[in-house]
Amino acid sequence: MKEQKRKNTPIHITKADVERAFKKAEQFKRLLEQGRTKEQIFKDMLRLIEGGE
Amino acid sequence: MENKLTQTIFSEATRLKIPAIILGGLALPAYSVFRTTIDIDICIYVNSQEVLDEFLLALKRKNIETLQKPKIEHDMFVVFGQNTEAEIWLKPCDAFSWDLQMVEKIQKYIDEVFVLSVEDYLLTKLARADRSSIDIDDILQILINNLNKIDWEYLRFRLKSKELMQDFKEILKAFEIDVNEDYQTKSKKIIEKFFNEK
Repeated sequence: MKEQKRKNTPIHITKADVERAFKKAEQFKRLLEQGRTKEQIFKDMLRLIEGGE
Repeated sequence: MENKLTQTIFSEATRLKIPAIILGGLALPAYSVFRTTIDIDICIYVNSQEVLDEFLLALKRKNIETLQKPKIEHDMFVVFGQNTEAEIWLKPCDAFSWDLQMVEKIQKYIDEVFVLSVEDYLLTKLARADRSSIDIDDILQILINNLNKIDWEYLRFRLKSKELMQDFKEILKAFEIDVNEDYQTKSKKIIEKFFNEK
């Protein structure tokens, strides 16, 4: 099956976007430093989405 | 893992030896990134209608059903559990299908849940037809928090094979923007690794 490349929307990144990305990346590292694990974060996200499953 | 819909889908996939991964926002913590999401996106690697039918039957036995008639050539279908739903994709991205190298590089996330390699995950974000600013934001954070983990040679190979090199270079331009000194140092490393690391 031939995969045809579609035209995506143009990429436009501002200084504010970059600074926000760095800040968010730091926030995640802080979460890990505080003792949360990637696994716990994933489980918490699932619990929120799946609710009372 | 006590969350039933996702757990059951992955358990059944494991039992039937069908490679399955979490995609989208739920996969982000595996790459040291977090944002809220309300979607469960799962992708399975199946080669035949028979295997797909077997998987659907296994889910049905666990009260997870679809209103569609999924076919092997489809992109995705939706399954419903008791309180929620999940999208089951048959290809990791609407712009490209599975290949064996991608399957081999799947990584364990938690319990029976797996994710794509960070490089292939970046590609799914970059290539998707409805790529948004959220995807670009995810890519920036993944690059920042995985700069020492990314196999840059494999990433370059993948970007080239999917004709995404130009798009990725546009993203890299973000790391040339003048920001504070700490961020600048990391930005330089990302650019250097992408162009030079073997």
